[in-house]
Amino acid sequence: MSRERYDRMGWKNKLFDAVNAGFLLVLMLTMIIPLLNVAALAFSSGMASMRPDIILFPKQFSTEGFRIVWNSLDLWLPFRNSVVVTVTGTTLHVLLSSLAGYVLIHPHLPGKKIMVTFVLLTMMIPQDVVMIPLYVVNKELHLINTLNALVLSGLVSGFSILLMRNFFLSVPYEMAESAQIDGAGAFRIFSTMYMRLATAGLATVTLFEFVSRWNNFSSALLFINNTAKYTLQIALKAMIIDTSNTSGTYLVTTNVRMAGILITIIPLIAIYPFVQRFFMRGILLGANKE
Amino acid sequence: MLYLMMVPVVAYFILFAYYPLVKGLQVSFQDYRLMGNRPYIGFHNFETVLHDPMFWRSFWNTLWIGAGIMICGFLAPLILALSLNEVLQNWYKKTAQMILYIPHLLSWVVVGGIWIFLLSPDTGLVNLLLVKLTGHSPIHFLSQESWARSIMIGSAVWKDMGYNCILFLAGIVGINPSLYEAARMDGATRWQQVRFVTVPQLMNTMKVVILLNTMGIFRIFDQVFVMRNPAIARKVDVLMMYTYQKGIMEIRIGVAAAASFFVVLFTLLITMAVRKLTRFDEV
Amino acid sequence: MKVKFTALLSAIFAVTILLSACSNSSKNNNSDASPSPAAPSPTGTEAGSSAEPSAQPEKLRILAANVGGKTPEETALFQQELSKRTGFEVTLEKPASDYDQKQLTALSSGEKYDLMEISDLAKFRNFISQGVVTDLTDFVTSSSMLSDPAVIPSAEWDLLKTEDGKIYGVFSKFQGATMPIVRQDWMDKLGLQQPKTLDELYKVLKAFKEKDPDENGKADTYGLSTAGLYEIQGIMSAAGLKARYVMKDGKRTIPYATDAAIPMYEWFAKLVKEGIMDPNFVTNDTAKMRNLFLTDRVGMVTYWDAWVGMFNNLKKQEDPNTKFVAKGIESIPGPDGTILMRRGDPDFWFIPANAEHPEAAKKFLEFWHSQEGIILGSLGIEGEDYTVSNGTYTLTENGKAHNLDHGVPFWYNTKVEPPFGKLPGVQEAQDLATKYATLELALPGWPDAEKILQNYALKAMSGQMPAKDAVAAMQKELKAANLID
Repeated sequence: MSRERYDRMGWKNKLFDAVNAGFLLVLMLTMIIPLLNVAALAFSSGMASMRPDIILFPKQFSTEGFRIVWNSLDLWLPFRNSVVVTVTGTTLHVLLSSLAGYVLIHPHLPGKKIMVTFVLLTMMIPQDVVMIPLYVVNKELHLINTLNALVLSGLVSGFSILLMRNFFLSVPYEMAESAQIDGAGAFRIFSTMYMRLATAGLATVTLFEFVSRWNNFSSALLFINNTAKYTLQIALKAMIIDTSNTSGTYLVTTNVRMAGILITIIPLIAIYPFVQRFFMRGILLGANKE
Repeated sequence: MLYLMMVPVVAYFILFAYYPLVKGLQVSFQDYRLMGNRPYIGFHNFETVLHDPMFWRSFWNTLWIGAGIMICGFLAPLILALSLNEVLQNWYKKTAQMILYIPHLLSWVVVGGIWIFLLSPDTGLVNLLLVKLTGHSPIHFLSQESWARSIMIGSAVWKDMGYNCILFLAGIVGINPSLYEAARMDGATRWQQVRFVTVPQLMNTMKVVILLNTMGIFRIFDQVFVMRNPAIARKVDVLMMYTYQKGIMEIRIGVAAAASFFVVLFTLLITMAVRKLTRFDEV
Repeated sequence: MKVKFTALLSAIFAVTILLSACSNSSKNNNSDASPSPAAPSPTGTEAGSSAEPSAQPEKLRILAANVGGKTPEETALFQQELSKRTGFEVTLEKPASDYDQKQLTALSSGEKYDLMEISDLAKFRNFISQGVVTDLTDFVTSSSMLSDPAVIPSAEWDLLKTEDGKIYGVFSKFQGATMPIVRQDWMDKLGLQQPKTLDELYKVLKAFKEKDPDENGKADTYGLSTAGLYEIQGIMSAAGLKARYVMKDGKRTIPYATDAAIPMYEWFAKLVKEGIMDPNFVTNDTAKMRNLFLTDRVGMVTYWDAWVGMFNNLKKQEDPNTKFVAKGIESIPGPDGTILMRRGDPDFWFIPANAEHPEAAKKFLEFWHSQEGIILGSLGIEGEDYTVSNGTYTLTENGKAHNLDHGVPFWYNTKVEPPFGKLPGVQEAQDLATKYATLELALPGWPDAEKILQNYALKAMSGQMPAKDAVAAMQKELKAANLID
C-alpha cells in the first residue's frame, strides 16, 4: 500500500506490472464474458435466443424476454416476496446474531464454553437429515405456506454469531468494563457501544446474509406450496424445469429464462459496490482467527 | 441479563436445529415407511450404508474433489490477492476486486449452466479457443471421466476465488506497514517483501480460509447436482448426492438419514484433524 | 435494563407479526381460503355424507405437478374455477419444481392431501408398497364414467394395474409416446426417403450433416441429437431391443445391456466420430435438444408425439411463411419387422391413504374426464384463457401463450372433440403411437440398473470405450448387483 516509488523502477518491475495487470484482466474476462452472454441472450428475440451462436451481442434485439418474464410470468410477485423475506430476515438475523455474539465475548461468563460449542455444532447439521423433521416443526407452528417460515429459517446462524463475536472482540474490553462501573447495563453497553463500533462487522454479516437469503432455494422449496408465496429462486427454477418425462407442451424460450436470471442477479450486483467499502474493513476484523 | 440475551438464540437453535437433528437420528434407526408403523431396526440402516459400494465410491469422490477444492481454493485466491496487491492503480484494483467477487453472488444453478455452456464442444468458448489457438480437436470435457473431477474443482475455485481473495486482501491490509519499511531498509526486492513479509504475516488468515474450506468439503451438493451427467456420475457423485438419491429418489429415508450421520461424523473428524494439523488453536 | 431488553424482544415480535399481517394482506384476494392444512377443524369433516346439510362445501386438497396455471395468479384462478365447477372447496398446490422431493416430504410428514399427481411408475410402486396409496379398483370398475371405454379405452387400464390386477391410479391425461421426429422439409429438399433400415437412417443423417440442408453455406448442422439415452428407442428398435426390463422365460433381462446392443452402440459411436451426432448429446437436457431442432441445427430428434405439433406451431408463429415441417416417423423396424416405440410412464392421479375427503376426490376424478374437466385442463379458464359465444371458442392472448395445455394437452375421452383441432402433424404422430408404442417394464431395481446402463452406454456411444467391453462391463455389474438374472 504505502510502498515507495523506487519499488516500481526498472524494466523488470514494469514488465511485471504489465504481466500482472494482464493476468488479472484475463481472469476478469472469464467472469464478465459469461454474464455478457446471459445479457446478450436476454436481449435477443425468442427464436433467435435459442440459437447457439449468440455470444456477446444480442440477435434481433428485443426486450420481449423481460416483458414476458415480468408481466406474463408474473415475476414481480416472487420478486416482491424475495425482497420482503430477504430484508426482514436479514435484519433480524443480524440483530440476533450480534446479540449472541456479544454475549460470547465475556471472558468470565460461566457456561460460555458450553454455549460456544452449542453454537458451533449447529454449523455441522446437514440440511437433508433434518428436512422432514423441520417440515413437521413448521407445520406444527402453522408456518407452512407463509413467508414467516422463510424469515424464521436461518434466523440466526453459528457462522454469523462467531463472526460478530470476532468483531466485538476487537473492541477493547476495558471500555465495556469501565462503562459497567459507570452503571450501564449489559444491553445498553451492547446497543450504544458495541453496535456502533462494529459497523464494518454489521455490514459484512449483512452482505453475507443478504446474498444467501436472496439465493436461498431449499427452504423456500420445502415450506412453500402456494404459488402466490414463491420467491425469486423458486420461480426461476420453475422456468428452467425440464419436463421430459411427461408430454407437457409448455415452452419457455431462452431469452425469457435469461431475462429471469438477470433480474435475479442485478440487485446483488447493484448493492455490492455500496457495501464493499465497509465490507473490506469488516472482513479485516472478522477474519482474525476463531 | 447476558443469559437472557441468549434466550432467543438458544430457543431458535433448539427448535430449528437440535430438535430436528434428534428426530433425524431417530429416523436413522427406523424402517421409515412413508405411512403406517415405522419399526425400530437398530443399526440396520447404518450397516446397509457401510456395505453399499456406492456409498464408498461417493466417499472417495468427495475426498478427491474436496481435497482439490481445498488446495486449489486456497492457493488460487492467495496468488490472486498477492497479485491484486501489487497493482498500483487504485481504480483498477477496486474494479478487479468487484468483478472477481461476482461469481460468488450467483447460485450454482446459474454458475453451473454457464460452465456447461462454456465447455460445450460445439459452441463453447473454451473449445473455440482451444481449436483456434492450438488446432486441437474439440474436447468434450463434461462427458469424459478424466476431466470430470478437475472441472468440478476448477469451477468451484472459480466461483469462490473472489470471496476468499477478499479474506486474504483484508489480511494484507492489516499488516503493519513498518514491517515493509524495515524490509526495504534491508534492501529487499518486491518479491522478497512478498516472500518474507506478506506471506508469513498472512498465516492466521490462511488458517481461517483452510478451516472454512474444510467444513465445506462434505457439503458439496448443488454444484454436482447441476453439473453432473450420467457419463461422469461415477467420478463426481458426492456423499450428499448419495443421500439425496437414497432419500428422495429411492424413498429409503432411514438409509438416507443414516448416511447423513456419517457425513456429520466425517465433517467433525476432518475439521478436528485440520485444526490439529494447522495448529489452529495455537499462537 | 431488563425493561429495554424486553422492549427489544417485543419489537422483534412486533416486526414478525407485522410481517405476517403484511403477507396476509398481500395474499391474492381470490385465495381467501387460507390453506393452513395443519389447522384442525374439529367440525365433522366427512360432511359429504350429508349428516348435516351445512353451507360449508366439502374440502378437496390437491397436490399437482402439471395441472394448474402457468403463473401464480393463474393457478389461483384455476383453483377458484375448480371450486366453482366441482362444488368443492378446492385447494390446489402446484410446487414450482422438485416435485418428487415435495411429494415425499408431504407424505412422510403426515400432511393430508386428497389427490396427488404422479408420472413415475417405479416410484408409484414404491408408494404402493409403503402403504401410501388407496386401492381404486372398485371405484373405477363401478364408475359408469370411468369404465366407459369411450372415456378411457379398457386396455389402457393395464398401464396402471399392479401384478395382482388392482388399480391404484386414474389417468390425468393421454400421454402418447416418443418417436423419431425429422425435418420433413429437409428430407424433401435433399430428395431423401423415410429410412427403413439402419443404413438408410445413417445415409439420411449423414446427408443432414453434409449437404447443408439449411442453405447457409456452412456445414454446421447435425444429423441427430438426443439428451443422453433419452430417447434412443426409435433407433434401438432396429435391433429389436426394448427399453428397460423385459421378462424372458421368467428371468429379468435388460435388452439394452445384451450382446445384441453392441452393434447399436457401435453405430452411434460411428455417428459421433464422424460428427453426424450432436457432440453435446451427453450433457443435453431435452430443452437443449428441442432448441437445436427448432433453430435448424439438427435434422432429427426423438421426442414426444405432442411436440411434432409444438415444433410446427412455434415455427409458424415466428414466421408464417416458414418451410419448417416436423414429422413423426416410425422407429426403424427390427429384424423380424417389429417396430418398437417408447410409451413412457402415464401421468395420473392417486388418492393418498390418509386422504380426508376420498369421496370428493373420486368425484373430482370423474369430473376430470368429463367435457367440462377436459376443457379446463386443456384450454384453461373461461374468461381468462378463452371465451365462448354461440358454442365457438376463442382463445385470449393468455390462452394462446399457454398452448392449450393446463395439464391435459390430450385426452382419452373420444366424446370430447378438441375445439381447435390438433396442431399440424400431431394426429399422424399419435396414430403411430397408438399403433406401435407399448409400455416399458419398470421393475423395482430399475433406478440402479439405469445408472449402470447409462454409464457404460454413454461411454460406448461417445467412443471412449469399445462397445463390446462396455456391454460386457454392464452385464457383469448388473449381475453382481443382482439386477438381472
